Amino acid sequence: MLKLMHKTALVGAMILTAGAALAEYPERPIEVIVGYSAGGGTDVMARTAAPFIERYLGEDASIVVKNMPGASGQIGVTEVANADPDGYTLGTFNLPGMMARTIDREADYDRDSFTYLANVVNDPNVIVTSTGSGLDTLDKLIAEATENPFAVTVGMSSLGGDDHFALIKLQNATETEFTIVPFKGSAPARTALLGGHVAMGILNISEVAEFQDQLNVLGVATQERSPFAPDLPTFQEQGLDLVNGSMRGFVAPAGLPEDIQAKLMDAFSQLSSDQEFLDAMAATANPVEVVTGEEFKQLTSDLYDLAEGVWETTPWN
Amino acid sequence: MYADLLNALPNVFAWTNFAAVIIGVIAGIVVGAMPGLSATMAISVLVPFTFGLEPLVALGLMAGIYNGAMYGGAIPAVLLRIPGTPAAVATTFDGYPMAQKGEGGFALQVAVVSSALGGIASAFALMLLAPPLSRVTLLFGPSEVFWVAVFGLASIIFLLGGNPIKGLISACFGVFVSVIGSDPIYGNDRFTFGQLEMLDGINIVILLVGLYALPPVIDLLETPLKTDGVNSSKLGTESIWKALPRMKGFGMTWLRGSFIGIWIGILPGAGGSMAAFMSYNEARRTSKTPETWGEGEPEGVAAAEVANNADTASALIPALTLGIPGTAVAAVMLGGLLVHGLQPGPMLFRDNPDIVFGFMWQFLFGAILLVLLGGSLATNSFARLLNLPRPLLGSVIIVLMLIGVYSIHGRMFDVYLMLGFGAIGWVMDRLKFPLPPVVLGLILGGFAEENLRLALRIGRGDPMVLFQNTTSLILVALTIAVIVGPTLKKRFVDGRKKA
Repeated sequence: MLKLMHKTALVGAMILTAGAALAEYPERPIEVIVGYSAGGGTDVMARTAAPFIERYLGEDASIVVKNMPGASGQIGVTEVANADPDGYTLGTFNLPGMMARTIDREADYDRDSFTYLANVVNDPNVIVTSTGSGLDTLDKLIAEATENPFAVTVGMSSLGGDDHFALIKLQNATETEFTIVPFKGSAPARTALLGGHVAMGILNISEVAEFQDQLNVLGVATQERSPFAPDLPTFQEQGLDLVNGSMRGFVAPAGLPEDIQAKLMDAFSQLSSDQEFLDAMAATANPVEVVTGEEFKQLTSDLYDLAEGVWETTPWN
Repeated sequence: MYADLLNALPNVFAWTNFAAVIIGVIAGIVVGAMPGLSATMAISVLVPFTFGLEPLVALGLMAGIYNGAMYGGAIPAVLLRIPGTPAAVATTFDGYPMAQKGEGGFALQVAVVSSALGGIASAFALMLLAPPLSRVTLLFGPSEVFWVAVFGLASIIFLLGGNPIKGLISACFGVFVSVIGSDPIYGNDRFTFGQLEMLDGINIVILLVGLYALPPVIDLLETPLKTDGVNSSKLGTESIWKALPRMKGFGMTWLRGSFIGIWIGILPGAGGSMAAFMSYNEARRTSKTPETWGEGEPEGVAAAEVANNADTASALIPALTLGIPGTAVAAVMLGGLLVHGLQPGPMLFRDNPDIVFGFMWQFLFGAILLVLLGGSLATNSFARLLNLPRPLLGSVIIVLMLIGVYSIHGRMFDVYLMLGFGAIGWVMDRLKFPLPPVVLGLILGGFAEENLRLALRIGRGDPMVLFQNTTSLILVALTIAVIVGPTLKKRFVDGRKKA
């Protein structure tokens, strides 16, 4: 009897809370888990977006950014995948990194572990060469790589990241071979380029915007020119089909209730038209390109297939 | 550019901005003095909060903490032989013997004056020479950086004195610890036993606290009834004005230590601990009385402390101009800058001169404030600790260690690791294995490995790539000198004795 009463009370309480959630999500602070330390690119994106999302969700909404750095973001994203899908735990999501980690390591999540809310940043790849290399056009670079396979050294931030995939695409498209030099992060790679220790680099446009005078920037891997460097031609303009970049967005655990998902999606989609948000992102050198819901999921799937294809032919560890 | 420097000055004196530096220095001294809490951690905890602050308030706090902590680490190093931060390891060599002789107060005054001078020299280097010095950083590609790390390791093994074989074994242990975690190139797991917590390698603070703080605590608790040789009545603190004349012979050591600190600061990665060792070694090598070093030579404290503060501001030179931080602390500060939309690079100085140059002034004032805030008041308050009964003091330190290590990532795993290193440290201490090479082995080992492998990739497997330019060759020559120098000198001296 007591047990039954207990059960009834529990069910009643669940119905009540569910009803409350339906009525006025969010009723307590929403936690956004960032898999990197405070002050990094992903963290800055999350903290810049947070007050805007709060505003779109309604007066009482509050977002708490929580850093869980470690294992190239894997610790944080695993936490999100395993969290309750109640809309109170969200997380940041990096592409292609988060998908690559499911291929090159044992991961406790996969592409179906998430509800895809919105990708917010798309930082396209650029190819740069050191001024001392003499390779100041794309044609010269490709000619050199064709004539002397492996002679061109390429500095980049890591294997299995967006820079690496961009290089694989370049190699496949031009039937060339380069020598990969994976630094720990893009700043050391860029410094090695400035010092002439490597000939070429694959970086992201936000990382070279400040250094355009000291490096040869050969092109950008986008469909249309980037507002960050309007004078910089795309690779497609130069006859090379190369579109690639590093993406950062927000996900929730899979199985989010539909109404909460709709509310969140609505909030995130407002980001792209908010000039104040766009200005704040421009100030931190984050090129914004908002892609929501199904499209974001498709994007993730495509990148997973790309990463898997690369892994099968040229595994990076 | 120098006009920008002066234009930025008035804003630094806005009271909120100046108060931030003062609070930062005080907080830094406290954090540095607690074993297990480091400037890196304090600043990374601070970064998320700075979102809502004015840039110069946030940066002033950081500059203050950095300067304060580099000195604060000396306090437990002198009083308890427990370095509060990795950079204070060399301070224990002479600081602790001084305290045992009842000169602890003077040792701390030497430390605070030296720290302030090092910080001031470094701030001037940052203010006046940042662009030319950043070009020096560019000379150091992977092969050069590899040789810097090898040189650092060779110095610590062969110049520290004592038994070089034991030093080598200690350093190898440190290098082994640096290998744990994911492979720097391919990302494969190494010695992690499937633990996600170990993928990023072993944090230096965990090793430092375990190795250095646990053995002294065990000693404290082993003989709970023995009254301590050091207590504040015997600390021999005197007014800083009386202490200053006793430091008048340190000029050369300060100058040399500042140069070494600034130099190491602009090279990526090595940081304050290597600077302090180098400065200490050089000062001892050129001393007229090298035999008194290690037994309470005040100049040894001066050499170590001037250098570990001289790398603070200079570590920001590559951070601000190239985005590559010279030390772990500079790395988290870079995050603090990014939060305010300050992107490192050549444009930074042009786009935000008020903030960048204001930040540099804050470094300078932070260093000057050290003398006032870190002087007798701070020293005396910490020295009171030593009046505590030994079991109580030991327990307090253990609690601080546990809190400090737990708070790095907020997980118990690190605490168990630290206790494991503590057990190893205790055994090593009993067997008279030197501990400093372990610390430097961990710091420089990973660095040497990563850069060696990058260099070999650039050379497509040809080891000659390591000897291809002048900078590398100079570093190779220095390394050889460090290894064979002491033996040759000994032969030479012995030869003369016979003759």
